[in-house]
Amino acid sequence: MVNVTLKLNGETRSASVPPETTLLRLLRDQFNLTGAKLGCDVGDCGACTVIVDGKPVNSCLMLVGQVDGREILTIEGLATADHLHPLQKLFEHFGSLQCGFCGPGVIMSAKALLDENPDPSTQEIRDALGGNLCRCTGYTKMIEAIKGASCILRGEEVPAVKSA
Amino acid sequence: MACMWYPIGFTVAANPSAAVVKINEDGTATLLTGTVETGQGSLTILAQIVAQELGIATDDVHVVSADTDATPMDTGAIASRTTYVTGNAARMAAEKAKLTLFEVAAPLLGVKPTQLEAQDHKIFVKGFPQRNMHIGDVANHARVVSGQPPIGSASFNPETLALDPETGQGKPFGTYVYATQIAEVDVDDETGEVEVVRVVASHDCGTAINPMLVEGQVEGGVAMGIGFALEEEMLFDANGRHINPNLTNYIMPTSLDTPDIEVDIVDSYDPTGPFGAKGVGEPTLVPTAAAIGNAIYDAVGVRITSLPATAEKVFKALQAKREQQPKQIGAGVPQNGGANGKPAV
Amino acid sequence: MADKPKVVDKPDVLQRPDILKPQAPAPLVTFPVEVVVPEGRQQTPAVGQRASRADGRLHGLGQTKYIDDMYFPNMLFAKIKRAGIASALIKSIDTKEAEAMPGVIAVITGRDIPCNSFGPSLKDQPVLADTRVFHAGDGVAAVAAVSEQIATEALEKIKVEYEPLTPVLDPLESLKLETPGIHAPSANIYGHKIIKKGDVEKAFAESDHIFEGSFRTQMVEHVPLEPYACIAQWDANGRVTIYSTLGRITLGRADVGRTLGIPMSRVRIVATVVGGNFGGKNEIRAEPALALLSKKTGRPVKCVYTRVEEFTSSTTRHPLIMDYKTGVTKQGKILGRKIRLVLDGGAYCSWSETTLGKACILSAGPYNIENLHAEAFVVYTNKTMTGAMRGFGAPQVCFAYESHMDDIAHTLGIDPLEIRLLNAFDEGSLSPTSQKLHSVVVKESLLRAAKLFGWNGLGDAGSGNGA
Repeated sequence: MVNVTLKLNGETRSASVPPETTLLRLLRDQFNLTGAKLGCDVGDCGACTVIVDGKPVNSCLMLVGQVDGREILTIEGLATADHLHPLQKLFEHFGSLQCGFCGPGVIMSAKALLDENPDPSTQEIRDALGGNLCRCTGYTKMIEAIKGASCILRGEEVPAVKSA
Repeated sequence: MACMWYPIGFTVAANPSAAVVKINEDGTATLLTGTVETGQGSLTILAQIVAQELGIATDDVHVVSADTDATPMDTGAIASRTTYVTGNAARMAAEKAKLTLFEVAAPLLGVKPTQLEAQDHKIFVKGFPQRNMHIGDVANHARVVSGQPPIGSASFNPETLALDPETGQGKPFGTYVYATQIAEVDVDDETGEVEVVRVVASHDCGTAINPMLVEGQVEGGVAMGIGFALEEEMLFDANGRHINPNLTNYIMPTSLDTPDIEVDIVDSYDPTGPFGAKGVGEPTLVPTAAAIGNAIYDAVGVRITSLPATAEKVFKALQAKREQQPKQIGAGVPQNGGANGKPAV
Repeated sequence: MADKPKVVDKPDVLQRPDILKPQAPAPLVTFPVEVVVPEGRQQTPAVGQRASRADGRLHGLGQTKYIDDMYFPNMLFAKIKRAGIASALIKSIDTKEAEAMPGVIAVITGRDIPCNSFGPSLKDQPVLADTRVFHAGDGVAAVAAVSEQIATEALEKIKVEYEPLTPVLDPLESLKLETPGIHAPSANIYGHKIIKKGDVEKAFAESDHIFEGSFRTQMVEHVPLEPYACIAQWDANGRVTIYSTLGRITLGRADVGRTLGIPMSRVRIVATVVGGNFGGKNEIRAEPALALLSKKTGRPVKCVYTRVEEFTSSTTRHPLIMDYKTGVTKQGKILGRKIRLVLDGGAYCSWSETTLGKACILSAGPYNIENLHAEAFVVYTNKTMTGAMRGFGAPQVCFAYESHMDDIAHTLGIDPLEIRLLNAFDEGSLSPTSQKLHSVVVKESLLRAAKLFGWNGLGDAGSGNGA
């Protein structure tokens, strides 16, 4: 067993777990944070994406030893007690998620992008989502929502979206 | 380009759905349906249909689904049938509950139940909107005074006729939808790699109960169609064992493989569907591969007849085409297969 | 059912340094509660509104509970042993060593299933393969253990003795009557459909041009982001509750009742929001096996497919081999069409009959064709079972008939748009099955798409860009 202490969504948390435990399993099975999903367990689909020290990672590929002492942000830590994050607001408003399974991973990848690049182009958004597979949506409405969220975060108006 | 037609519901076989609508004492409602939300947004659509029938808002309808103990039977989220079949059942169930409200409201408004309408949270006399009652007041009156809780249940099954076993003639489906997709591709004639740069998709879904969800289905379907056309394939070795049962080697579209998809909804109304609606779930990926195949031919003059149209296949076809072309010697005679400056469509 | 559940709380099992012991769930804080209702959901009339989904907000918060997010006290985890061989007789299955493993509570095989067959039409699919394996992803045994890791390790300890048979992998091989039947003694053709209208040979004789084309499509998989997941648990009254990613719970309940030999009133199936279906989750998979494991152990049992199992052991799309022959006038009007379809029907029937029917009916395309002969066969092969997948044969035949149409257009020098407008259905047209069609808008969709795209006639093959 290894002891691991980390800053999880702003709170210091500890656990004593087998050394082969992945960050994904730690989050889901130890801390009951089931937002990060198990889609493939081998780093191909991105459904397990969380943010570690500011960078988006596939949590199924990180072992607990690698996160000891680090700062983790998961989907559960994105909204505040009073408000949804603009990404969550616009994903809801634009219908960007359908079955929702890839959603937490996509939103965390988008959050990491916007933290680093507050005014991304469409191509930069596509690049940031390149490791997050989605089978339902074709990505179009996700990109619209991420663009819109970047506007909100910059204090600008969200442009109207094309509708059929 | 490619156009297509696609049916709604099961082939001939009965595929009913049942629904129950209960109106609460404040005029909001609950829908019980056995269908399963698989991501397509069916529960939102059903709520909109019930809300429309009752003259209330989508948010006023709570949907309870997918529990064999608590919800009525449903043939399932399959064959693009939910909007049409379950939607019809839900609308009819809402109508029955509404008629109870009309029976309660009629004497209070001094008219017959057939003279009433429900819209904008009110029950009012047709042609005399100022003579109205709030739907919540009627619903409350129904329970506490009339003792008639408004609850309706209904089922629907599309009308079909069995197919003749010798000739296949008959009426297999209740209705069909139609669509056209046009794809624009960029083909690298040195590697055979195909990039989809634009897709225009014009889809018929009857009345679009929720255009945002229709767009979502089309965008998702086109992405799946791109994967079918260019990337995806399950491979087996000579002994029948899987070669690529994983997402590393089974290639499917990412955000980098899909273009912006332009969605157009064709004006259409189907009198046999709920408020004219048909369905849209499956048709969205039907014409994509053909549109892409035809675009490849338009771009580089090779016809790929087997999917997926991988870079290797396209490259080999281009090579074969070049080998077949007699070498043109002489001024001003362009070679096919190279860029000749003329814009393609 | 005389077995008592094994005593599991041996001190050493869960202290193994490599086992992650699942915790009891901590209380989940469900904030923020934003009571602002999006406008689209508040408007009347409701039809036509861009109303946001009720589950959209929960999705974005990561609060939607999928089945793998559900946890019950004392829950066990199940894994299924896969055959890994495409065609074989099963001579014996030895589960003793697996059963003796610390942490393994129960092991079952096909023999334990009271009625070991199911299927939406032909009931040719076993819950767990008993005497024969028909494809490499067939399940041959199921294990319930205190952790997923132990259950996976136990699979290695199950010894299966196979007598390999030669697999049939090519549907055209399977089509030949002399090829030995996979589901012996019947022949491999397990479905046939024919549509005949008018006189197709006469139409060909009267045509100015005859075109032929052969097309093939591949086996693909749904790849829902959420792998199949299921939890089964019983109450003391002998009622089983099954949480499943199943898209057809009414049928699922009937199947569970029939395979376990219990009345449907004792079966409850609950589906939560499913993480993508696309047709692949429309029949039962391991529900009866999990129900049996739960009954045997007296504990809830959860099974989540690995991504590998999603590929090897869930339904796929039928590969099709499609041969088209079309007779046209020199203006491009279709006089007659002859079609032969061969569907690779995989190891089990699943939704093949529906796919066969739809593919055959749709194969002529949305065109007025008075003389038609469309014939379709579905055959068994020793590959993953082919079932329902978004379109049921339509994407495959559309690829064929629309590629074919463009070939005709290009050869005759006709605009691909014009040739389609010339032949497409109108309101009231008769379908290939002579059904009078209503609410027909195929020409409208063609014209609208062309306008939106900026279609300007016959393309110029050779510049690298194409449409």
